[in-house]
Amino acid sequence: MKIIKVVLLTSLFSFPSLVFADVAVIVNASNTATISDSDISRLFLGKLKAFPDGDKAAAVNSKFGSATRNEFEKKILKKSSSQVKAYWSKLIFSGKGKPPKELGSDNDILALVASDPAIISYIDAASVDSTVKVIKTF
Amino acid sequence: MKNLKKTLLFTSMFVAASAQAEITLNGFASIVAGTTTSSDEALYGFENDFDFSQGSLLALQASSDLGEGFSVTAQILSRGAEDWDTNFEWAYVAYEANDNLRILAGRQRVPFYMFSDFLDVSYAYAWITPPTGVYDLVFDTFDGLGAIYNTSVGEFDTTLHLVYGGNNSELAIGEGSDAEFKNLAGAALTVTRDWLTLRAAYLQTELNVPVDALVPLINGWRSTPFPGVADDLETSKDIGSFIELGFQLDFENIIVVGEFTQLTLDDMPFSDDDSFYVMAGYRFDNMLAHITYGEDENSKDRITDGVPVGVGLDALIDPTNAFTDSQISESNYVTLGLRWDFHDSAALKFEYTSYSDDLNSNNDAGLFRTALVTVF
Repeated sequence: MKIIKVVLLTSLFSFPSLVFADVAVIVNASNTATISDSDISRLFLGKLKAFPDGDKAAAVNSKFGSATRNEFEKKILKKSSSQVKAYWSKLIFSGKGKPPKELGSDNDILALVASDPAIISYIDAASVDSTVKVIKTF
Repeated sequence: MKNLKKTLLFTSMFVAASAQAEITLNGFASIVAGTTTSSDEALYGFENDFDFSQGSLLALQASSDLGEGFSVTAQILSRGAEDWDTNFEWAYVAYEANDNLRILAGRQRVPFYMFSDFLDVSYAYAWITPPTGVYDLVFDTFDGLGAIYNTSVGEFDTTLHLVYGGNNSELAIGEGSDAEFKNLAGAALTVTRDWLTLRAAYLQTELNVPVDALVPLINGWRSTPFPGVADDLETSKDIGSFIELGFQLDFENIIVVGEFTQLTLDDMPFSDDDSFYVMAGYRFDNMLAHITYGEDENSKDRITDGVPVGVGLDALIDPTNAFTDSQISESNYVTLGLRWDFHDSAALKFEYTSYSDDLNSNNDAGLFRTALVTVF
C-alpha cells in the first residue's frame, strides 16, 4: 500500500516537470549585455529593438503552440498564448510591428543564436550546449 | 463594377510585389449574430430577429517588405452591414526611418480612440465591438501622412502618433449630402509601463457637410436681418475638434479600461458629443468576464437664440430649432460580456447590452449578441 502511495506521490511530482521542462533564455556567446527580465519581455513584445548596451537585438520565438513557448509566454511575458496573439494582432493590423520570427526546432534556434550576436531566444534547458550563453533559466 | 476594379487592382498589386519580394498575408473575421430582446426594440442596427450580417466582417491584409526600410500594406475589409461591399481600410507605404520613427503615407486609421488602430480586430480586445456610445464618429480612416515615433524613457514606452490628411468618402449624413473633411490634423500620445497605459489625443478637421434638407432654411435666413443663423446652419469650412483621454490597467487577472471623448462642432447645426465608458474585466482559465458602463450626451444650443421672438420669423425659427433639438440626446448603457478563448486563434464572445434613453424611454432596448472572432 505504502509503495503505491509513494509511486503515486512521485508521479504527481514528476508529472509537471515532464510537461514543463525548464526553459533557458539564450544569447550569442559574445553577448556581454546585462539583460533583465523586463528587458527580455520588452524585446519579445517588440518594445525594445536593442540590448541594454546598445547593440542591435532580434528576438526569435520557438514554434507557436510548443511547450517551451507556452511556458516562456506564461512566465516571462506573463500572458497566455491567446493574449500574446491578441497583442500582436493589434500591431500587425495597424502597421505598427511584426512578431518575432519563429523557428521550428531547438537545434535551429541553437545554430542561429550561435552564429548571430543580435539574436535572443529560448529553448528547452536540456538542449543547451556550449555554443550559446544562458542568461536565464526558469 | 467598382468592386471588380478594386479586386483587379488588389490582384495586380500582389503580382507586382510578388515579382520582387515575399508577401505576408494576414486576416481577421468576426461572425456576429444579434437580436434585441423585445419586438419593438432596435439598437446599433440590430432588430428583434437574429441577424447574422449586421456586425459581421472579414478582412485580408497583404504586406511586403521592399527593402531599405520601405514596405507596402493593403487591408481590404467587407462588412455584412454594407452588403459585404469591399473597401480598402488601409493602403499605405511605410518607411522605417530608424528604430524609433515610422512614416506612413496613404490610407490609414485616424487615431481617435484607444482601440482605433485595430477597431475591427475583435480578437484584439474583450468586447465584440468597442462601446458604440464612444466609438461613434462618422469616419475612421483618412488619406494622408502619419508619423509614429516610439521612444523609451526608463521603463516607460512612449508612442507619439501624428497625422495630417483628409477624408472624401461618401458619408451618409442626412440625405444627398457628400461630406468632406479637409486639413485633418492631430496627435495621439500613449505612455505604457508594465500594467499601466495612458492615452491622450487631440484632432481637428475642416468640415464641409452640405445637407440638402437645410438649403431652403439657409436661403430663408439669408434674406432676413439675421444672416448669422444661415452661417451657423451651413457646414462649410467650419472646424470641428476632438479630444480623447483613456487609460488601461492590465494585471494578470484583472483589466480595467476607460475612455472619455469630447467632440466640439461650433458654428454648425450639429450637436457636440461628450461620452465615456469604464470597463472592468476578470480573467480566469481561458475566459474573460467583463462589465461596461457608459454615458453619451449630445447637446446643442439653439442657433436662433439671438433672434428676437415676435418679429414674424416663426416659420424659420421653428424648423431651425426642430433640426438642432432633434440631435439632443442623453443615454447610458450597461454591457455584460464573456470572452472564451476556446481555440489558439479564435474566440467566442457573448454580450448583453441594456440601453436607456434618458430623454425618451421608448428608445430603451436590450441587445443580445454572440460572436465568433478569429485572426489568421
